[in-house]
Amino acid sequence: MTAHDFAQELERHRGYLYRVAHLQLRDRDAAEDVVQDTLLAALSGSGFSGKSSVRTWLTGILKHKIVDAIRRKQRDATPVTSLAPEGSELELDDFDALFRDDGTWEAPPAAWGDPEEALQRREFLDVLDLCLEKLPAATARVFMMREVLELESDEICKELAITANNLWVILYRARVALRMCLEENWFASERRA
Amino acid sequence: MSTFVSRMIHFVSCREASELLSQMQDRPLSPRERIRLRFHLAICDACTRFSRQLAFMRQAMRVYRT
Repeated sequence: MTAHDFAQELERHRGYLYRVAHLQLRDRDAAEDVVQDTLLAALSGSGFSGKSSVRTWLTGILKHKIVDAIRRKQRDATPVTSLAPEGSELELDDFDALFRDDGTWEAPPAAWGDPEEALQRREFLDVLDLCLEKLPAATARVFMMREVLELESDEICKELAITANNLWVILYRARVALRMCLEENWFASERRA
Repeated sequence: MSTFVSRMIHFVSCREASELLSQMQDRPLSPRERIRLRFHLAICDACTRFSRQLAFMRQAMRVYRT
């Protein structure tokens, strides 16, 4: 692969990197900056071993840039106060409706057939994308920190100044909401088909 | 069944089991939590499915970022 090909290959991931960065930083300029830094670092560095996919490798670099940016932002000015309350009050009614008074499922999770097979399908990833976008912004942000940037619980708590309990509640809600969305928009219609 | 064991396995609702299953992806559960959860899963198909679906979603997020 020539240097030119490599640069072009990196460029193809700009959109994805921007989406991840924007979700975390909530700021267009800041997101563009970290993406630019990431692509530059990728271009100049020789870190790509070929063991993982280019996107995984880029996500790893982006993760560090985003954490740096969040730290800078917190140091510079605005204290993060908004996240915990927003995360804990979201759609409380929906969650109460999830379980009956005796703690059993109101609508028990259905069987998903062969979910592994779905992972091979481009359309499934589109539905996953859609379901992630439907999550409340603060919830999505925390979920992506955990599942895409792969930060540990204590790192996220530190970055966002929230308690571990708060974090678990937010992640629980994200997973439950995502699960319902995937069931409704993929697995249920698959059963009908 | 000893009172100790019965106390441990009692009162794990689906609500609590589902919370523990989610937290399992973010922190190690205590031995007591693990036992309570295992007993609940042994008798609850819905939570067993929920458990598999959580694992699948984590796998899907791995595919999503690659």
